[in-house]
Amino acid sequence: MTDRYLSDLAMLQHGDSAFPSGAVSFSWGLEALVNRNSVNDARGVEDFLRAQLEGRWASIDRSILVHAHAAWDNLNRLVTLDGLMDSQSLATELRMGSRRIGRAFLSVHIRLGTLGAAALNENVANGMLYGHAPVVQGAIWREMGFTAEQAQLMAAHGLCSSLLGAAVRLSVIGHFDAQVIRTEITSCIAEIITTPPCKPEEAHGFTPQIEIASMLHETDQSRLFVN
Amino acid sequence: MPKSSIAMELTKTPNKTAARVGIGGPVGSGKTALIEQLIPALAERGIEVAVVTNDLVTKEDALRLQRSGLISPERVLAVEAGACPHTIIREDPSLNIAAADTLAQNFPQADVILIESGGDNLASTFSLDLVDYWIFVIDTGGGDDIPRKRGPGIIRSDLLVINKIDIGPYVGADVDSMQKEASEIREGRPVILTDCKKQTGIKELIDCLVHNVLFLDA
Repeated sequence: MTDRYLSDLAMLQHGDSAFPSGAVSFSWGLEALVNRNSVNDARGVEDFLRAQLEGRWASIDRSILVHAHAAWDNLNRLVTLDGLMDSQSLATELRMGSRRIGRAFLSVHIRLGTLGAAALNENVANGMLYGHAPVVQGAIWREMGFTAEQAQLMAAHGLCSSLLGAAVRLSVIGHFDAQVIRTEITSCIAEIITTPPCKPEEAHGFTPQIEIASMLHETDQSRLFVN
Repeated sequence: MPKSSIAMELTKTPNKTAARVGIGGPVGSGKTALIEQLIPALAERGIEVAVVTNDLVTKEDALRLQRSGLISPERVLAVEAGACPHTIIREDPSLNIAAADTLAQNFPQADVILIESGGDNLASTFSLDLVDYWIFVIDTGGGDDIPRKRGPGIIRSDLLVINKIDIGPYVGADVDSMQKEASEIREGRPVILTDCKKQTGIKELIDCLVHNVLFLDA
């Protein structure tokens, strides 16, 4: 039972918004949609979050994450997964955002002394890897002993927390709305994770409004967020 | 726990990097103007600089420095604050750390990386894992009662700069009083008065960095 507690506590620590992940600077298209009044209330935020989870995370990020977790000690496979992640991210800010999150993640884990983080970072620095978040998270979390299921839960929860936090800071919703939405979305996360992930070579997403908004965000004068 | 084959393939660790100096303070206190003075003054002493800016809403500060002609544009990186300038220098500085790491890697000869916070309030502080030394900048235009209002920025920063002393008389600010109160509150930690238009105090500030951060005069 003690091992179970240790594992659960480790997951809470590494999946917590207090863990320095860099996620606070990312809105993944939400800022542009808010600025254009396409998202302006709690309903819109929930729809946006569902679209991110079901239309993109479930079929791209999650697939890459799970397969990177399985291929944690196979650099060639990680390189392939990293390339697939890159090719599935059409909008520049979404693509570069995933790379920046991944690199920041490695930077933190190097300082924490996590085994494998410095080596992965070296592969990013020498151009072998882009360092997309799902790839490095999958590999590093496996190094740390997390299961694939735990890795998915942490990644999904982290995405939800950062997006809802962005929505609060953009003044679209309040803290209570954020928690209501987070509760509503829980079953959605559970359903996604209980479904087998697709093969990474079959990874796909369909969130055109978010992609277009993200492209428009590139040239917006007012930008609080990376994307 | 099994040892990663990736870790076995590559064991190289990051090299020692440049000293990292945080520059924070309220909006409009003159942080960017101060950096514009620091860059050439440091260069005159053979000290190489790179800069990370944390613009709050735009990339104004980063573009201003990149276009200034004072520094190669590629030596300036911008990190977006996500509407929380204090968060990315304190609670979650990971993007700033990554940006500084990138600059250190791309410019291994750099001696100092200046990390400019977005404008914030008197309670803003830098994570001690992000910077080796931090400067807090206030200005006379904000009112001469600012030191009395204390706050971690005033009290705990390694160096307090009271900027825009030239406009003090025009905004009813008693500069001498500000300096006296700040010195008392800071219990001997340094306080420097600056006027970036006339470069007043810049030499003193550089001396302070050279002595306390770079140890070049040791």
